[in-house]
Amino acid sequence: ASPRFQALLGGDAAAQGVRAALRQRYLRGLAAARGRPTRFCLRAGVRVDAVFGAADVEAVAFQVDALRTPLGVQAAALLRCTDVLAYSFLLD
Amino acid sequence: MNDWQRKSPLDWETYVNKMVKVAAIERHEYEGWVLTVDPVSASIVLATFLENEKVSISVVLGHAVQEVEILKEGDDEMKQRLSCIFAPEESKAYSP
Repeated sequence: ASPRFQALLGGDAAAQGVRAALRQRYLRGLAAARGRPTRFCLRAGVRVDAVFGAADVEAVAFQVDALRTPLGVQAAALLRCTDVLAYSFLLD
Repeated sequence: MNDWQRKSPLDWETYVNKMVKVAAIERHEYEGWVLTVDPVSASIVLATFLENEKVSISVVLGHAVQEVEILKEGDDEMKQRLSCIFAPEESKAYSP
């Protein structure tokens, strides 16, 4: 009974309309994040900086570029969503 | 799944356009205006307006959200301001 499966079942039209509006704004937010320097707050107080790339549809991982790690800069990487608590970026 | 992830889209919608304080796991706290809540991951998207006219966007992932407290309601001006943040270019209002 994942949220996507629930959405597929439909349910009442009011909830479906609201779900669509919320999701649309979220996807526009992902589009706005693309290519921006982003700080990810991971578990155990770890913070890493990277350039935001993309997210997958089921919210399993984020793809990032130029991930700065203590061992050097990783050109491309995937961050597991379960390891990420939050992320933030600036819009101008 | 936590209580926040189990909410329905109609519940999440009641937080949109409001100033909230999000208590996350590992004692993290985030404050900002709610732009949206992703109905798939229950991630909450917050906007804060900085002094240099920039907007800081913070996304707290649904699995990390413990509690969301409403601090302030948004007026019509704030709703309009928030709706413009992620709006596609062509729908932005132009001033002459």
